[in-house]
Amino acid sequence: MEAAGTRLLTARQCWAVEWPLFEPHRPDTPVRSMMDRPDALAEMSDTALLVRYGNGDVGAANELTSRLAPRILTYASRILSDEAEAEDVTQEAMLRLWRVAPNWRQGEAQVSTWLYRVASNLCMDRLRKRGRSTPLDAVHEVQDDRPEVASDMIARDRKMALEAALVRLPERQRQAVVLRHIEGLSNPEIAAVMDIGVEAVESLTARGKRALVAWLRPEREQLGYNDD
Amino acid sequence: MTDPDPLDDFFDAARDAPRRMPDSLLMRIAADAEREVSPPSKRSRHRMGVLALLGGWPALGGLATATLAGVWIGVANPLGVDPLGLVGAGDVASAELSVGYLDVDWALE
Repeated sequence: MEAAGTRLLTARQCWAVEWPLFEPHRPDTPVRSMMDRPDALAEMSDTALLVRYGNGDVGAANELTSRLAPRILTYASRILSDEAEAEDVTQEAMLRLWRVAPNWRQGEAQVSTWLYRVASNLCMDRLRKRGRSTPLDAVHEVQDDRPEVASDMIARDRKMALEAALVRLPERQRQAVVLRHIEGLSNPEIAAVMDIGVEAVESLTARGKRALVAWLRPEREQLGYNDD
Repeated sequence: MTDPDPLDDFFDAARDAPRRMPDSLLMRIAADAEREVSPPSKRSRHRMGVLALLGGWPALGGLATATLAGVWIGVANPLGVDPLGLVGAGDVASAELSVGYLDVDWALE
């Protein structure tokens, strides 16, 4: 983790930024730049960061990782129900992002959408290889060391019940429901991720939700809904 | 007024669930990024070094403007300007001077 404070770029990184060109510097001598502002990278768009990384700035990759990798890991673990495989998918998706960075075409796709699409394809490949045989007890529970209060327990039980139900959905419905209702993507974004039309996305999410409601209805009373 | 979605609480619980990136995964991703980063090419480094020696983009812009102005003065109207400050000597002097330069050029060839 970078220390909060003045940040110095190495001379190598400095070649990648445009504005200090008219300020010659000695090679291997740290130079100050606009990156002295610790929040400079945090204010940049994903695309700007990716272009920066494509020009040789590894710091931009760190910022992109902190923004996008947790989302991809969460998504992959929900689709695969396997933490180790989800981590491998996340690493592979990010690796492909690093490799495409120098040739990234701005304006063609959002970085996050592109990454979800890569992760989706990687997840589908893994599901196809192992067959559709994910046991319900394989759903991973995220460890949290905080002491649990009653509301936490109810939320945890709801989350586990939902994940167990998601596993029972056909893969495409599961993808669409997770992307729409948990990851928060819009229908056009999901259509781009899944390479289908918006109407197909709506159909998949509607069918998926109907099935989830049917499966989760018996559990509602046990999961704190009788408090209302 | 529509009924609330019966799945909303389930989705809320899933969204709010803590998710911590394992340090080992972060390190693997960072190592990949470090390995895959493309350093600026030697050609672009050389180009930028020359540019820095000239004084950067602003100086290069001034240089280009001066060059174009010189070409324009030389080609568009050579007898209408007085580059050596011979104001008052008239067109004849300028014309003779130009002819003189031409003679020198031919002599050098």
